[in-house]
Amino acid sequence: MPKKKGALVTDDALLAEMEALRERVSGITGSAVASRDGLNIREDTGDLDPDNLAALAATALSLAQRLASEAGQGTLRETVTRSSGGYVVVYAVGARAVLILVGDEGLDITRLHRESRATVESMEKLLV
Amino acid sequence: MVCAVSGTSGVLRITGDPGGTIHLADGLVTAVETTGAPGPEVLLLRSRRVTESRWDAAFAAAAARGRPLSAELVAREMVGAGELEALLLTAMADAIFVLASGTVDEYRAEPGPSDGGLALEPGADPAGLLAEASRRIKVLMSVPSPPADRRERLVAAPGAVRPGVRLGAGQDEILALADGRRTTRDLAFALGRGVYATTLRLAEMHAAGLLVPASASTASRSARQAGRPAARARQESGDELPRRKGLTGRAVLPRRASAARTPRGLLRPRSNRDDNPG
Repeated sequence: MPKKKGALVTDDALLAEMEALRERVSGITGSAVASRDGLNIREDTGDLDPDNLAALAATALSLAQRLASEAGQGTLRETVTRSSGGYVVVYAVGARAVLILVGDEGLDITRLHRESRATVESMEKLLV
Repeated sequence: MVCAVSGTSGVLRITGDPGGTIHLADGLVTAVETTGAPGPEVLLLRSRRVTESRWDAAFAAAAARGRPLSAELVAREMVGAGELEALLLTAMADAIFVLASGTVDEYRAEPGPSDGGLALEPGADPAGLLAEASRRIKVLMSVPSPPADRRERLVAAPGAVRPGVRLGAGQDEILALADGRRTTRDLAFALGRGVYATTLRLAEMHAAGLLVPASASTASRSARQAGRPAARARQESGDELPRRKGLTGRAVLPRRASAARTPRGLLRPRSNRDDNPG
């Protein structure tokens, strides 16, 4: 997603949204916003490589949407990858971006699904 | 809560921060699940006491045979029966301590069979667990150098990490993980240790001037705002430590006596909380 005039302001607002979500949901260890074509827009991912994460998350969401469509199950809400060491959750942010959340084994996934809705909506407005 | 679960089998669902689920059999606590404390699986795997592949095999076999996972782990000699019992009790006491230290909006008992994953059989006396949680809260409230607020994120103090100097006793690992992005709970998960033990260790390190709350250090935020994680920024710049500006760490430390920060009430709704637990 090309950076426009005022992109820095948007970047900081995106970071603020990610930090606010991390404060509301225990277990989030990293978060990032990427474009649907897999380019990193803003990240707070610690030691994880945000560029790889962005590329893989965009691909995963795209595949999951096709899978959901193939199974005739309507609109995709999110993808959740659960591993022995934690979670990676990807939400669609409008038609142009994705929100990636990385969490530890104790991530409060129920609260995350509830709290992330407002975050996704706010981000969608920021990225218009 | 003790009255609510007397003789009960089922689950007690606690809504709050962090909230959780307490599994009961005949009024005894067999397992506690909460997002606020590492469970026995995390403790076993993160400590590398049990490998992931062996854990997965035992989990699958237990499910296929319809027998408890704890029995499967012991049968496969992955962990001794006594050691597992101690681990389950430790994890359970830690989880109850975390629940008791947090806030409870409401709780609901759901009688019936419960599946608490790795369960302690027979379970532990809930009154004993609450007494232990109360004792732990009192210990933390009496620590001379108050541990960080549970929402506070911690970062290595300037000068705490020196090239070629090892502090030992697990402190190096904690300093490496304390990047200004992790709370005490997050560090407990990352370390594969209990929240109570981690809190005590962090308090010691804070008292020794090794750790400060991230809010006292602007380095992690400024690094993030520059579009790079703090740790990577430090590596790339060759600057080993974030530089703190302005206030000293002590000036912005959470106050132990702060009502909003102090653990309150033992598993009672907010409206019915005792300010002097135990």
